[in-house]
Formats: sequence, structure tokens, C-alpha cells
Amino acid sequence: MIKYSVELENITKRFGQVVAVNNVSLRIKENEFFSLLGPSGCGKTTTLRIIAGLEKPDTGVVKLHGQDVTYIPTHKRNIGMVFQHLALFPHMDVYENIAFGLRMRGFSDNDISRRVKRMLEVVRLPGFERRKINQLSGGQQQRVALARALVMEPEVLLLDEPLGALDLKIRQEMMVELKRIQREVGTTFVYVTHDQNEAMVMSDRIAVMNEGVIQQVDSPDTIYMRPKNIFVASFIGEQINFIEGVYKGNQEFEAKGGMVLRVSDNPDAINKKSVIAIRPERIMIGDKAPPRGMNSVEGRVEMMVFKGSSIEYRISANISDEIIVFVPNISPTMKMYKIGEKVYLTWDPEAGIVLPFESKPAEPRKIG
Amino acid sequence: MSRLEEERKPFHIKILDRIRASKLLKIIVLLAPASIFLAIFFFSPFIIALMYSFNMFKQVVYTYVFVPRISLEYYIRLLDFPGIFVTMQRSFYYAIVTVILTLLLSYPAAYYIGFKLDPKYKSTAVLLFIIPFWVNFLLRTYSMKFVLHDEGLVNTLLMTLGLIKEPIRFLGTDLAVIIVMAYDYMFLMFLPLYGVLEKLDKELLEAAATLGASPYKTFLKVTLPLSSPGIIAGSLLVFIPAVGEFIIPMLVGGVNTTTLGTLIYSFFITVRGEAGWGIGSAAGLIYIIFIMVLSYLYIKLVGAEVQFG
Repeated sequence: MIKYSVELENITKRFGQVVAVNNVSLRIKENEFFSLLGPSGCGKTTTLRIIAGLEKPDTGVVKLHGQDVTYIPTHKRNIGMVFQHLALFPHMDVYENIAFGLRMRGFSDNDISRRVKRMLEVVRLPGFERRKINQLSGGQQQRVALARALVMEPEVLLLDEPLGALDLKIRQEMMVELKRIQREVGTTFVYVTHDQNEAMVMSDRIAVMNEGVIQQVDSPDTIYMRPKNIFVASFIGEQINFIEGVYKGNQEFEAKGGMVLRVSDNPDAINKKSVIAIRPERIMIGDKAPPRGMNSVEGRVEMMVFKGSSIEYRISANISDEIIVFVPNISPTMKMYKIGEKVYLTWDPEAGIVLPFESKPAEPRKIG
Repeated sequence: MSRLEEERKPFHIKILDRIRASKLLKIIVLLAPASIFLAIFFFSPFIIALMYSFNMFKQVVYTYVFVPRISLEYYIRLLDFPGIFVTMQRSFYYAIVTVILTLLLSYPAAYYIGFKLDPKYKSTAVLLFIIPFWVNFLLRTYSMKFVLHDEGLVNTLLMTLGLIKEPIRFLGTDLAVIIVMAYDYMFLMFLPLYGVLEKLDKELLEAAATLGASPYKTFLKVTLPLSSPGIIAGSLLVFIPAVGEFIIPMLVGGVNTTTLGTLIYSFFITVRGEAGWGIGSAAGLIYIIFIMVLSYLYIKLVGAEVQFG
């Protein structure tokens, strides 16, 4: 039987007129690295704060390790939390910051000293006990905040965009560190971020949120390759192409202008107005028409950008005004197409994911 | 920049450029006005009072003539003065009780306004708190006579409510002096407390909660130590004028509320003459030394609880 660290059942939270969290249900498994990903204002931080008990949900049930904690105050829940601005106590040194929680739980001085020392080794800051908080770099403060939360051996560690304030290089370093620490301590991590890269790199599973609603919960690769709706498809990844049309069933999709494309099957969408989503790197470009039986679209190069590891083309075709194609830079002798040139686009039927049409697809705000 | 352009500069620009270039000049221009002002109006009277206290002036008819001597006579006479130690003790007692009372009254209010109140109402709330102190100090203090009078507001209210049968005698008592001092000086405690509490990061309290600290423990271990700079500043701001206070004990107090302040006042205004000014100056200097020592000890003691930076 799977054990769950965190279970949310039909959680709703309003702030005045705004529904911050709308009927959210989630089950986070033990020892899982779970991310809540979405644009700012999507309700992910509120969801995290509800798990911590820092916000009370209007409706719904919060369970930690199977126990209903909806009405249990934060300080009686066995959770750890790393805050966005870290919230280290400025009037205490590193040792006292980490020891704070242990003192609250009434551990003996010997025990505290032993645990703090061990924790500083886990976060790789041995010997930093007597440092003042403002003498530490951003990355070091990050580690202290982690140690302070983890020393309590919480059942679940909640992290609220903890890497947001760090610059790119330290952030990448900390991502690897977080993953290592999570494996080492074997605690459930619930990680809130708006940065898909962070979520992709670290998570076992990701819940994509928008406007208070969970859009999809899946592993990073599934989220990327099998998005369930237009929001997830466009929020995740660098770019994606959408082509409108009607799904006819039997892996056949009729695009604008009557052209039939081979796509992956989606029984729910049969004979409905739909959209196919195709990642730019799944499309191949060539100057000759491919053999019959493959998707083939004739187009014209409108723009070409050399990006180093790849070349980005924007192609106009009768099924769409703009199809983005990424061609990996695999050889110095590879053919590069010029603006105005006629080209043929080809892709595997499996690359075309049929999604339900939305009249006004929510334009996700991408930050960072 | 060419020489020609340098020549074409107006005279005042040249002067300003010179000031900007010179560090020493900058210090002089920026610091001199305040320094000279303080030298004339604080430092020189201080020296003169010091000289009076050491009996370095001799009265000749209507003028005072400098005499090169140092005598401790006035200090001895001050310490021989009947009731001098009780008076000093009383001054410190009033000041300390006033500090405690203003702290107990201001802290919850500053905490609420700085922490819990919707930010858009904060400045209004602070303003409402401060408005009473826009009224002239003397007027404000004098009006308290009517509030604390035997037939004043407080007694009338308590008697109407049936809480007391006989009016409580406030005027002329320690209680009246302390109530009025607390009232007059409360804003000096409130403002620095509000300043630190308003800036205190709320996330720190949430962090404490996630670490298992109850709201009570969080207050003791986080909020209180982090607001101690405000407590120190507020306490000193109230204590220093309170310990030398002379108007309030004279207006709402009586013969049993003599303080160091009223004593100095009466030496200078009532006794006067060579001895009055001399003993008064000696008392004033002892008062300054006391304040310096106590303030230093206080900052040392309370400041040691909280180490910043």
C-alpha cells in the first residue's frame, strides 16, 4: 500500500473576491520530491501555506501522514519549511538558528549540539556554527535555512521558491544540492516554484497549477511530452506549436484548409474542434517532399535564428501562419535554409498531441 | 575640461567645485553649523555651570567675578541638604515607573498597529496616537489637574459608576505625578516601538511556528528580542526627561513630590544668589552624571540580550 505524506481533499481558499485555491485535491507520496509549478498568482504558495497551517482553508481537509490536521495549528504539525526570503533569525548565529526548533521541542543540550553538527555536515557547512547570518553568502544562508528545517526531521519539508533570490550559477548548484539532500535524508519535499527548469530538474512529480486549479499532475517527462491541455503545453517547455482543426478519430486530424494530419489518438476529442500541439524539436525540415504516409507540410522560411546549439526557423504554411522548428546543430556542414526558401516539414504522428480546443487559451505569464 | 572652460565658470560654481573636491572643507561646511551652535548653547553653559558648582564665581553687588579657586563646598552643602537622598530616590522612582508604565501601555498598541492592522490604516492609526501630543506640553499637563481633581473627570466617573464612595485623592500624590508623566511621555515610547515592530519581518514569526514554537514562545524568543532596539530607544527617550522633570511634580504634585528637577528649579529661582546657583549647578551636574551612568548600564544590559550584526 502506498503511504501518503500529504493529502489535500477538495481544498478551497478565497481572499475576498479572489479564489486563490479552487477545489484542489492532491496526494503526495512518502519520500517524493513533489513540485507545485505555475505562474505567479496561481495559488501554489497558498496551497503550500495551507499544508503548513499558515493559512486555513475555507473548505476541505488537510492530512499529514493520514492524520487530519486541518484544525491543528502550525507549531503542532510535524513539518519543516524553507521560506522564500529564508526568514533566518537575524539575532541568532548559525548554531542558534538551527537549534531553535530543537530547543522548542525540549531536546537536551548534548542532543542539540550533536544534531546541529550532523546537520551542518549534511548541508556542507561544517565549522560555521558561530557565524552571524549576515556574514553568509546567499547560497550559505540557503543551506542554513534548509538545515534549520531538516534538523527537526519533519515528515514533510515545504519549500517556497527558496532559490528565487539566488543568481543563476548558485541556483543551479543548489538544485543539485537539494536533490542530493533529499535523497540523503529521505524526507518528502514539497517544492513551490514558477521556474519550470527547477521543477523539471528536481521533481519526481509535478503539479502544474493555474488560476487556483491543478491542471495536471505527472512526472516531468509526461508533463513535457503528454500535456493534458493547452495551458500545460504552452507553460512547459521553451516553445510549442498549436494547429487548430477537428479530430476525426483513427489518428486523423483535419487542419484548416482540409489537410489531414496523422496524430496520436485522443478518443475524447473525436469529431470535436481540437488543437494539436507539436514541440519545435520534433519537427524535421528538408528541401524535398518526404515519402508518402508521413506528415508533410510545405512552407516558406520566414525567419532563421542561429542559436548555437540549434537553429530556430519560423515557417509559414497553409495550416498555420507560423510554425516554429528547432534543428539541432549536429554538423558544420548541415544545410541552413534562407529566408524565403521553400521547405518541407515532417514529423512523427506521435509528436502531434490532440488537445481540447479552448476559445481563449489562458496566456501563461512566464517569469524568470 | 579645458582651461578656457574652467575660466568661464561662474564664481559660485568654482567655490562649489572646491568644496566638493575637498574632504576637509566638506566636513567643516556640513558639521560646523551644528557644532558651533552646540558649542555656544550647550557646551559653554555647561562649563559655566561647572564653574559655578566649584564656587569659581564670587558675587560682587550685582555682578559675578571669576575667582581662580576650586571648592567642593556646594557639593557638600547639597549632600547635607535635608531630604536630598529621598528626593533623588523619588526622581528615579518616578522615572522608572513611568518607563515601565509607558512600555506596558505602548507595546501592545504598537504591536497591533505595526503588525496586525491593514497597512492602509497604519499611518492614520499612528497619527491618531500622536495627535494628543501636538497640544502644548504645559497646557496638556495643566489640563490633567481638572481630570484628576477631587471633583474631576476620573472621580466623577468612578463615583457615578458606584465603584467608589469617596473621591480618590490624586492631586499632590505620587500617583498623580506618575499618571501625568506617563501620559506626557507615552508618545516617546510608542514611536520607536512602532518603528521596530512595523519593520519586523512577519515571515520570521511564521518560521518560528513551523519550528514548533507556540505563539507565546515566538513572542519571547523572536518578537521581543528583535524589538529590543525600540524598547531601549523608547526607554531612554522617556527616562531622560522624566528623571529631570520639574513641571509635572509642581503642577499636579505637592510638598511630598519634590524631585531633583524641582529642587534644581528652586535653587535657581527661589534661593538664587551665589549659593543658590552654585548648589543648583552641583545638583545639575550630579544629575547628568547619573543619567550617563544609568543609560550606559541600561544599554549594556539590555543590548547584551540582543546582538545584531
